[in-house]
Amino acid sequence: MSDDAAHNADRNDNTTDFGFTRVDPAAKAGMVRGVFDSVASRYDLMNDLMSGGVHRLWKRFTIELSAARPGQTILDIAGGTGDLAARFSRLVGPDGQVILADINAAMLEVGRDRLIDKGAAGNIEVVQADAQALPFEDNSVDCITIAFGLRNVTDKDMALRSMLRVLRPGGRLLVLEFSTPTSPLFGKVYDQYSFQILPAIGRLIAQDTDSYRYLAESIRKHPDQDTLLEMMEDAGFVECRYHNMTGGIVAVHQGFKA
Amino acid sequence: MTQHDPALLSAALAGAERALNQAIAMAPTSHSELNALAGTLLGIEITTLELTWYIEMVTGTEVRLISHCENAPDAFVRGTLEDFAALATSDDPAATLINSGIELEGSSASLIALQQVISRMDIDWEAPLVEVLGDVVGHQIAEGLRRFFRWSEGAQASLKRQASEYLLEEGRLTPPKPELEHFYDAVQSVAMRVERAQNQVEKLLAKAASRRTSQ
Repeated sequence: MSDDAAHNADRNDNTTDFGFTRVDPAAKAGMVRGVFDSVASRYDLMNDLMSGGVHRLWKRFTIELSAARPGQTILDIAGGTGDLAARFSRLVGPDGQVILADINAAMLEVGRDRLIDKGAAGNIEVVQADAQALPFEDNSVDCITIAFGLRNVTDKDMALRSMLRVLRPGGRLLVLEFSTPTSPLFGKVYDQYSFQILPAIGRLIAQDTDSYRYLAESIRKHPDQDTLLEMMEDAGFVECRYHNMTGGIVAVHQGFKA
Repeated sequence: MTQHDPALLSAALAGAERALNQAIAMAPTSHSELNALAGTLLGIEITTLELTWYIEMVTGTEVRLISHCENAPDAFVRGTLEDFAALATSDDPAATLINSGIELEGSSASLIALQQVISRMDIDWEAPLVEVLGDVVGHQIAEGLRRFFRWSEGAQASLKRQASEYLLEEGRLTPPKPELEHFYDAVQSVAMRVERAQNQVEKLLAKAASRRTSQ
């Protein structure tokens, strides 16, 4: 099934993906919560091991694209362990505000502790929130980032519409997410890595093969670059574009609210 | 146009930014001068590599290197890799900047101010050594390094002077600087005279043409 077809199926039938398994949409949030409860305490370490530290460079470029300025309000959805929020906190300064939001309480707890340890405080608010129904006022945020979070959301279209509502006119959304490698040969190597090596690392470090297998599977089920671009345009974002990174393993999509 | 992987450029800039900020942290005497430049944004484009990046002075102790910027920089310099290498190794950066193919847009004042602060920067290499190795060993190593750098600076200057003397006096392979400057002046003077003569000839031809049409 092509990504388009898969995406349409997501929209039309009454089940949704949980990795390679089809599940009841109402159950997906709980299952994803289970995965992240399991990996929360070792999430950053695992990210470093799995990506060779490259996830920090992907996030660094996303922060550059945000063009965050002092005084702005930035919402970091699925902000988990707070590495983007810590950087935004310095960029927006004491007159700005950073909202670290995540649906998972265990991830937020780790994130809040990390931010305090880094001395990032005063302009950061921590909120447990569902990306599909953001508990914020309309037109209240200058920039929204969601890094490695959208693929875990049950209804991605609903989440994108919710983000558009919260953004101020002229505000931007940045979606950093695993995507589809641009070279088929590189894609095959990446597949081997994802389904053989990644779960093995998960077993060794976090004693949790299943959660890391889910992470690999969820990456494959996530819409490719062009499909996600189309979804953002359908949700109402304008001037949408994306940048591939590391051969398309990851892409950062950008869209603005008119 | 070549599409660079943003992650690769981010890696290079992250490494350079870290090194720069560590160097600044070890040069406390420059902090107040750098603080005066806070908010300055400089853009650099290396045309040979199709690379554009920006230097942002955040505070007196923090520099940010970024590959994407939406604000207009205070100054923007554009040139080839060779042009920038020549500028970096030049004894007279101002003259090299004028004579090279480097294009400058915006205010040159901020660029010159930053260059001056960097040239005056006195990095205290002893502090991190003392922190790791202790006062006695750290100071001895730092002293040894200082002696080595002083010797290497002297040796470099001496080698340059001797090579220059050999090329001028012994080998007679290059002309002396005054002779070269005199030659350039003469060439410029001839060029100006030719230009004047060309203008006069064109004026005379135009006059002759207008006479012919009036007859």
